[in-house]
Amino acid sequence: MTTLTQRATWRASWRANWRTIWMVAEMSLRQMVMDGFIIFTVLVQPLLIALLGLWMLGDKGPDYIMFVVVGSGLTGLWSSLLFIGGNSINVERWSGTLETLVGVPTPLTLIVLGKNVANIIQSLASMVVAYLLAVVLFGYQIQFSQPLLFAVSILFTIIAFVSFALVLAPIFVMNPGVQAWQNAMEFPVYILCGFLFPIALLPSALTPLSYLLPPYWAARALHGTSSANAPLEEILLCWAMMLLFSAIYLFVSSRLFAKMLIKVRTDATLDVT
Amino acid sequence: MQNSYAIEVDHLRRIYRTTVGVFRRSIKEVVAVEDVSFCVAAGELFGLLGPNGAGKTTTVKMLTTLLIPTQGAARVMGHDVVKGAKEVQKRIGFIFGGERGLYWRLSGIDNLRYFASLYHVDPDVAKQRIPYLLDLVGLHGRGDERVEGYSRGMKQRLHVARTLLHDPEVLFLDEPTIGLDPVGAREFRQVIRNLQSERKTILLTTHYMFEADQLCQRIGVINHGRIVALDTPENLKRHVSDLSVIEIEAFGVPATTIDKVKALPFVDAVHVENRDQKQALMIQSPRGSEAVPDVMATLNGLRVGRVIVREPTLEDAYVRLVGGTA
Repeated sequence: MTTLTQRATWRASWRANWRTIWMVAEMSLRQMVMDGFIIFTVLVQPLLIALLGLWMLGDKGPDYIMFVVVGSGLTGLWSSLLFIGGNSINVERWSGTLETLVGVPTPLTLIVLGKNVANIIQSLASMVVAYLLAVVLFGYQIQFSQPLLFAVSILFTIIAFVSFALVLAPIFVMNPGVQAWQNAMEFPVYILCGFLFPIALLPSALTPLSYLLPPYWAARALHGTSSANAPLEEILLCWAMMLLFSAIYLFVSSRLFAKMLIKVRTDATLDVT
Repeated sequence: MQNSYAIEVDHLRRIYRTTVGVFRRSIKEVVAVEDVSFCVAAGELFGLLGPNGAGKTTTVKMLTTLLIPTQGAARVMGHDVVKGAKEVQKRIGFIFGGERGLYWRLSGIDNLRYFASLYHVDPDVAKQRIPYLLDLVGLHGRGDERVEGYSRGMKQRLHVARTLLHDPEVLFLDEPTIGLDPVGAREFRQVIRNLQSERKTILLTTHYMFEADQLCQRIGVINHGRIVALDTPENLKRHVSDLSVIEIEAFGVPATTIDKVKALPFVDAVHVENRDQKQALMIQSPRGSEAVPDVMATLNGLRVGRVIVREPTLEDAYVRLVGGTA
């Protein structure tokens, strides 16, 4: 009887948590569409990159076009993760809502998770925009080499990116000095992770560094299932690496959130006033 | 301390540490709350009064789990504000004066839907409660508008609706009427009275004496991080029942003259209020009207307007308790 009651309580708690995550995501999306900077980060910037890429690589064939479409989408995803996801707690602090959020019974991690889900949804739009640009504006006939595996890769990519953003956000709150490096972290990742061209073009000494970055495994899985027709073993390796990184990041972020909440309540830095 | 108390505060102390200097950095400590203890009974409306920087907001922030006390302990509905923070958060609502803390790009209704979800209010319950609360705080018909278009008073009232979404047992209202126009503040006080009639426990901090006098059952006066008096408004007024207040309107009274008045042997406290171009000197003295000629002699050469001698109010009691720093 007790077990049944416990199970029902557990289920109700999960339902409430999911409802909260989706509500946060919905409200974040509503706010994002009103923000010019976010529109630029997730739509205009990847669109410009896609336009340039399609122009430069247009004569290389449909596989290259698909590479550009997926790569520009990944740039949108990474920029969104770095700037919007990384700043998700600081933005609340600057706007005076962080105190209210810390004072509610919902864990702050769930709230930030919901905000990151919204970021990902918005940034996936950049991939769709790049695809439509290639098909409608440039008239390319492009198709995914392994659509089902691509869809699963997208899912793992989202999990890996959201987990990474959960690590960045408390680090940026506790160490404002690190946040100053945000801009410097954007383009190197595009290059090191093979978003827009294979890392084989880079000096081989940089390859181990790429292996340590989860966006590299995301890019390899997405490019491998969209344009490269990579073997299943390679895709499985990428998925495993993304899951491994996600597990590590979720563990680290749970510790960082607890530490951050104690620090901001001790230092009285929940609000900027 | 007994369990029938909704709020129990036991020797709370809070120090803020800040870094000063650029090259030779050093840590500076500021004691915001020195030693504060009090209890609030369930269903009571308790006021916390004090001048700026006395420690009111810091105390409220510790009780609402937003600051960790440096020393001491506090419990809300029997739960420790540090170790049982999540349990406390389920049972309380809080408002800090001002317009921040809302999502301005969202509508009033969306703000309430969002916070209802964060307080784990069932969606069906929230659907019924949101229109009721909008009505309660006088925002009926304005809920669909974006918050950025709301006046300050409307935002304050939306804060009240937000804080009532989960039907909390204890409410912390930190200077909720600050910045409101007189009509808005009066409506707001009516909302507080309505909440009290629903047997909510309310801790209210305010600068306005008449507000505390009208609303609060007991008042704690806080100064320099310590409770200097704690009693009913009537009993607090008795602190100054032996005094009369000489109220003098004057123009351009220099600080040196005010010091001279304070130094008169029969003057207990002096409080100065700026009223447009005039100043109102509130002089507390046991000699009442007999003291007027001597005070007027001290103000010699200054342009003086109306002079009255009256009975002391709660504000006068407060001025005496905080040593004329209000």
